[in-house]
Amino acid sequence: MRYKSQSVAYWYFALAMVLFGLQLVFGLLSASKYLGPDPLLNLLPFDVTKTVHTNLLIVWVLTGFMGATYWIISDESRSELYSVKLAYIQLGIWAIMGVTAVVGYLFGYGTGNKLLEQPLPHKIAIVVCMLIFLYNIVMTIRQSGRFTTTEGVLLLGLASSAVLYLPALLHWDNYIIAIYYRWWTIHLWVEGVWEMIQGAFLAYLLIRLSGADREVLEKWLYVIVGLVFIAGILGTAHHYYWVGVPAYWLPLGGFFSALEPVALVGMAMYAYFSIRRGGVRHPNVLALHWTIGSALFTMFGAGLLGLAHTFPSINKWTHGTLITAMHGHAAFYGAYAMIVMAVITYALPTLTKNRQVDGSAVGYWAFWLQMAGMFGMTLSFATAGIGQVYLERVLGIGYLDVQLKIQIHFIMLIVTASIFAIGVALFIYDFFRQAPRMEPVDEAELFPDATLPRGPSSFGTASPNTARMGS
Amino acid sequence: MNKRQTRLFAIASTAIATLLFLVLTVDSHRQFPTLTNSENITEEVIRGQQVWHNYNCINCHTILGEGAYYAPDLTKITQLRGTPYLTAFMKDPSQFYDEQKHRRLMPNLGMSDQEISDVIVFMDWVSKVDNQGWPPRPILVTGAALPGSDAGAAQQQADAGARPVAADNSPIALGEALFRNAIPTCQACHSMTPGVNLAGPSLAGLGAFFEQVKASGEYTGKATTEEEFIRESIVEPSAWLHPGAMYSAGGTSFMPPTYGDDLTEEQIDQLVAYLMSFK
Repeated sequence: MRYKSQSVAYWYFALAMVLFGLQLVFGLLSASKYLGPDPLLNLLPFDVTKTVHTNLLIVWVLTGFMGATYWIISDESRSELYSVKLAYIQLGIWAIMGVTAVVGYLFGYGTGNKLLEQPLPHKIAIVVCMLIFLYNIVMTIRQSGRFTTTEGVLLLGLASSAVLYLPALLHWDNYIIAIYYRWWTIHLWVEGVWEMIQGAFLAYLLIRLSGADREVLEKWLYVIVGLVFIAGILGTAHHYYWVGVPAYWLPLGGFFSALEPVALVGMAMYAYFSIRRGGVRHPNVLALHWTIGSALFTMFGAGLLGLAHTFPSINKWTHGTLITAMHGHAAFYGAYAMIVMAVITYALPTLTKNRQVDGSAVGYWAFWLQMAGMFGMTLSFATAGIGQVYLERVLGIGYLDVQLKIQIHFIMLIVTASIFAIGVALFIYDFFRQAPRMEPVDEAELFPDATLPRGPSSFGTASPNTARMGS
Repeated sequence: MNKRQTRLFAIASTAIATLLFLVLTVDSHRQFPTLTNSENITEEVIRGQQVWHNYNCINCHTILGEGAYYAPDLTKITQLRGTPYLTAFMKDPSQFYDEQKHRRLMPNLGMSDQEISDVIVFMDWVSKVDNQGWPPRPILVTGAALPGSDAGAAQQQADAGARPVAADNSPIALGEALFRNAIPTCQACHSMTPGVNLAGPSLAGLGAFFEQVKASGEYTGKATTEEEFIRESIVEPSAWLHPGAMYSAGGTSFMPPTYGDDLTEEQIDQLVAYLMSFK
């Protein structure tokens, strides 16, 4: 932490951690309802726990994105934030929005529109927060006069996220058209602009953790962004299967979704080779675990497991089954939960006091238990989903009878989810067990014995036109 | 490639993909009215859509395959089940399903009559949207397209129907149990899934079928309503012969003529109520 204002990131991360923990409580509750019977049927039915589970995910990941951006932007632009006060005001509005939304869901307030359940006042608060946030970031970059490619990609990703939230504010009397635009927000977030954010975070972490050459990494960042959008924008088509839109979306979805793994495999290779070729290895090996882990898990969860069911002739049978839950869990975790934890783990040694630079034993347990748990959960959903597709969709056995036959997979889900939850609990504990640092500190001074990859002054070029200077 | 070229690649590919996407969006809007029968989006459909949202239905069920995966898909439900059944179900789901048996039950949402009728109209509009013929086979809530394939022999004996029944249950639920354990069992020859014809024809959609038979002028029985038609078919199977050489010969139906004597009047009422709950 070289700049005092970077300490705002701590409070964003802290909120993200609390919400992450709550998300798992509601996730476990939802999973246990699959086993049934449900003693809370009339008090806290599945639809409520599931809404809270998915909304907490979105809110905590976005909180993490904001915290990570505040942290990164100072490092990249070598400047204090434009306004610390604005950052705290934004956090306050954001936290109130998140908490009241969740409490509201418990009492049945919500739009009943999947993943966009936030009531209108909350949607407006989200837009206001995004605007404050973008303003603060842009002004920070302007006042510093230093604008790197990584920042450019990050900023574009964040700004596009805000713009793509706007279709969610529209109302349509035709439910099919409402579905059509709902995916502009959901799909183009998670399979488009959020991947820009993930890519930018990856670039930042890889440059610092591996000492890899910024020019080379940023060049490949552009390639990844290009590949993400070629496949991602038209890949929206795979959400338009069987929902009442023209038939040409089927072949389009099949083709462009098949391309989506290309960008994700590219991202994994990008991470792997930069570590292999990088000059010096940063002592924060735990952060390296999370960084490489995120790239690999994204390739597996988003890329391969997505591809497993995006061909129309396969999706005809798997559409609307637990196969989707398999892909959803692994993809979201790998791409977004893990990248946020990567930035947090990278920042923690200087963001908090009395910490080793290379991560604690608790930190490693948190990593590996989460890996094992999420892999097991993915397999549980996959096996449950395959059973469901075969019995319900192919053989024509009734939904409820099939759900009874695949109970064992739900038991497997709860066991593996519990392992995952222990991993998350350890991560949260590890985060909170040291007090935050409020004064800037130089990494090299704090950890004099560690070999850090190059001095800070050699990071990139100091020109505002960095992007133009590559070759 | 140098950095400038890769940046150009990123910008150009994004721009081309965006442009193509926007063009297709305009074209999709051109086709939406036909695909979604938008002229049928009445006030009731719009109110029904609001009911669908207000009760957060999508976070248990799926519709058009979208939603949560905790409860059955409802895309074509109004084509499988009639309005009276769906109304009775939404008024009290526990009349038709049992939480102990399926370990899952829809809570009683306390919906008003108006809300129930609106949401059924909405779901009926959804069921008629042109969605490339999905699902490829009907998605059932319970039972099986091939009767009996959902449970072993011992289970069939132990609990027939979607729930264990008591005398005070809805006649539809009692009829469903009877359909499975009458002697000989109805489901040995009949499926409730559209298009699945076994030794006997599928019994889904008898109401519409009867209208069609009546209109064809070939109907030889005495029934004037769907209810009478179903009752007549149970008690006197040869009153009118279902078309097809595999179902009858020499003017006699292959269906056992014994049900009229073996079942009580009340049991026949229950069977009729059950069969009428399918559209």
